[in-house]
Amino acid sequence: MNFGTTQTRWIFVLSVLLLAGNVAEVTAESSLSLGDRSGNVWTVEQVVASLKEGREPSVSFEEATYSSLLTEPLIVRGLLRFTPPSTLEKEVLEPYRERYLIEGDRVTFESERKHVKKTISLEDYPALRSFVEAFRATLTGDVAQLKKVYETTVDGTSRQWTLLLRPYDPAGKSMVDYLLLSGSEGRLTTIAIRAPDGDRSVMTLRRGPSK
Amino acid sequence: MKAAWWPVLVWVALITGAVWFTGTRLSVHSELGDLLPEGTTATQRLLLTQVRSGLAGRMLLLAIEGAPPDELARLSKTLGEGLREHAQIDFVGNGMQVLSSEERQVLFRARYLLSRTVRAETFSADSLHAALEQRLDELRSPLASMIKAYIPTDPTGEFLGILQSWSGWESSATHRGVWMSGDHQRALLVVETKAAGFDADAQEAIQRDIRASFHRVADGPSPSARLLMSGPGVFTVEIQRTIEREVWWLSTLAATLVFLFLYASYRSWMLVLLSLIPLSSGILAGMVAVHSWFGFVHGITLGFGITLLGVADDYPIHLFSHLNKQASARATMRAIWPTMRLGVLTTAIGFSSLLLAGFPALAQLGLFALAGLGTAVLVTRWVLPVCIPAGFVPREIRTDLLGTMAYLSKAKVVVPVAVVLATIVMIWSDTPLWEEDLAKISPVSEEKKQLDQQLRRALGAPDMRDLLVVEAATQEDLLERSEAVMPQLDRLREAGALEGYDLVSRYLPSHHVQQERQQSLPNSVDLKDWLGEAVKGLPFAPGLFVPFLDEVEVARRQPLVDRDLFRGTPLGLKIEALMLEDHGRWVAVAPLRGVVDRQGLKAAVAGWGESAVTYVDIKEESNRLMRDYRNRTVQLLGWGTIAIAGALAIGLKSLSQLWRVLVPIIAGLIVVVGILNLSGESLSLFHVATLLLVVGLGLDYALFFNRVEDQGEERQRTVFGLLVCSTTTVLVFGVLACSSIPVLHAIGLTAACGSLTCLLFAGFLAGQDSHVS
Repeated sequence: MNFGTTQTRWIFVLSVLLLAGNVAEVTAESSLSLGDRSGNVWTVEQVVASLKEGREPSVSFEEATYSSLLTEPLIVRGLLRFTPPSTLEKEVLEPYRERYLIEGDRVTFESERKHVKKTISLEDYPALRSFVEAFRATLTGDVAQLKKVYETTVDGTSRQWTLLLRPYDPAGKSMVDYLLLSGSEGRLTTIAIRAPDGDRSVMTLRRGPSK
Repeated sequence: MKAAWWPVLVWVALITGAVWFTGTRLSVHSELGDLLPEGTTATQRLLLTQVRSGLAGRMLLLAIEGAPPDELARLSKTLGEGLREHAQIDFVGNGMQVLSSEERQVLFRARYLLSRTVRAETFSADSLHAALEQRLDELRSPLASMIKAYIPTDPTGEFLGILQSWSGWESSATHRGVWMSGDHQRALLVVETKAAGFDADAQEAIQRDIRASFHRVADGPSPSARLLMSGPGVFTVEIQRTIEREVWWLSTLAATLVFLFLYASYRSWMLVLLSLIPLSSGILAGMVAVHSWFGFVHGITLGFGITLLGVADDYPIHLFSHLNKQASARATMRAIWPTMRLGVLTTAIGFSSLLLAGFPALAQLGLFALAGLGTAVLVTRWVLPVCIPAGFVPREIRTDLLGTMAYLSKAKVVVPVAVVLATIVMIWSDTPLWEEDLAKISPVSEEKKQLDQQLRRALGAPDMRDLLVVEAATQEDLLERSEAVMPQLDRLREAGALEGYDLVSRYLPSHHVQQERQQSLPNSVDLKDWLGEAVKGLPFAPGLFVPFLDEVEVARRQPLVDRDLFRGTPLGLKIEALMLEDHGRWVAVAPLRGVVDRQGLKAAVAGWGESAVTYVDIKEESNRLMRDYRNRTVQLLGWGTIAIAGALAIGLKSLSQLWRVLVPIIAGLIVVVGILNLSGESLSLFHVATLLLVVGLGLDYALFFNRVEDQGEERQRTVFGLLVCSTTTVLVFGVLACSSIPVLHAIGLTAACGSLTCLLFAGFLAGQDSHVS
């Protein structure tokens, strides 16, 4: 028995976060070799190409969740990992330990504290699947695929850019109002996700201990 | 002379009536379940009800293979969507979501009655605080979106807890959202049909639709993809169709052989056609009688019955063989009538044992044969002689027959020797005398059975062998008992005695438990205080939990739920399958999965000291059921033989004659059993029932062999007639013995051996003095 669309939403958020983690693996050096070095306006193609180029296997994050249910944001910290071609992992280290792993189509959730290990399928949620595929498209530089799923808007210059993604798909729209990625050159610094009810989460990325 | 024609007129009138009746009223059923017995114990009855109409019987297991995993997933999804629209299908499971949003809302409203974690402590300030901290953790996690909407109304997390405790089928692997085998070679689906598993016609229609839907989605895009289907419904259709096909071609073959043989014996097509009159009248009478008594005729009764009635051909054969130049056909008939009458009477006693065996399939067959034989013999007696032209004599009978007979009589000693040998075979043979395993006589192919096992394992579906049965007088008692059993089953599962179970109280709590939960809900004043304390130091927005306070207050007065709440939903179907009313009692049926040690489990359940809870091994139980019926039939066979002996003693008025008639038959029975055993056949119910037929046949032979009136030519005619009778019987049943269906094979082999043995033995032991020329 499945739990319906509510679950879809958490998986969506989860995968967005995971994917964002990969995107974040962009280094300053690599971005320098790409795009415009004089601070001119970037294109989606340039952003995606520089992000792909700057991909790293691991990055640390701090994520703040702002909700209408809460009087102050909730914070978690941990690591994001990406193993090509399609394995994404989010490991929460503080304030508790939890692990989310997307391998191909499967999402595995593991929590030591709750003694839970559970596997579900992305395919239960077609809208979510399209998001994940779009992000994978980003990581592999497949701009065409990304543009198929999202309305994309790039703002700013190569030193300070933002990439705004709005889903076309109605199912996607019901879960996410927009995703806002921002960064400098080939390096992703924040990912903000806003839900249609106004709740949002902001993830700040730092280069983690490289392995 | 005119007086002779009135039986013919009566016959024409009756036959016309019977033809009209069968043409307009007769209903031929094809549901195998109609032929199953009621069962003698409550457990057997329940088991048979389950098999007939329960979920176990209505479940079809589907697999799609022969394409890449992604394509299999697509096919499974498209097929599943199509099948969910089908009017005859209750439920399709393939891993996709099964609860609609309306259903979730209904469950959400009933959460405080349904959740196992609701008790007074749940709402104390401390518990609430812990629960709220957990919600915060969840808000921090990617799970946030999933639970966020429920936090203000359900901060203790009851609803998600319920869903989690209900989630089944977890063991199946998934790919792209649908169930797949572990190696991703097969997409798996489960279909629940509305029609019972034994309803062959309905099942066939549904299975045809499923195949058609599959071809619509698969043809073109994936030509190599195949659909596999299994489950009781598939077996039913296979059995039914195999029987129909075999009965058809076997009867055609047997009829052709008999006609050719009859022509060869009498060289007259007219006699061959005349021999059809008693037979066809008998078939008509059999159909009318079975319909009048049972309200329907089963297709299988019709198939078997007509074959069985082939025996009725013996009566016209006796008449034809005794025709001679000196007497009219009517005079000839009168001459052999006393012997024929006694033969029919005793055969009828034999067949009536079938009626009394209490096994519906055999009872229908018994009645059919009884009515058919009676009619056939009456038609032979009163109608047939009138139809035979005066002075008609079939070809001359060979005279060397009597010499052969004399040889036979000298070889009397063969009979005791054969009996002794047969007894030795039965004692020393490796082949068990009785077939104890019902599965061995199932006509389902080994390959199909293996596929079924594979699919069940892959789906984590119970193989419907192990059940826990809980009984009670009322629904409420039943649910309370089931609730008491659950912790016991959980312990067994933890101990590794079983992998899993399903029980109605997982889904539907008893009113008693619901009331307890309801009473543990605090009043709004207390709850507000405790919540106020619990929320201290936690960053929840002020006033966030007002809906929670309101809903608990509402839940304190909400009506208790019963299974009506779930009616028409997949969950409702599940509950209906797990809980049923049987003869005024309530019964919960819990399928067990992965039972390792059946004896151990049985002992463990017995050790609970709860007489209303029993473990049932369906295989064992159904074998016992068949064994019970077989033993009963063996008993009837014994009593029948005694009754026949009594009837014979009165009819023959001579002890030495009685001896000559009975001994070959009893010896014949022993030798037939010996021969069957030697050829590797263990006796089942069907063998035993056919032995009754053998008794009838053998009596007929023995009685004719020992006719006091027989002298010279008449004696030759008798012997000739008996040879023709026995040969036709051996032909008909010999053909049946070639069937691939175990039951038909058993009947055919037994009757063919029996006919031959009884004829020979009756010949060996026939009185010498009566045929000296």
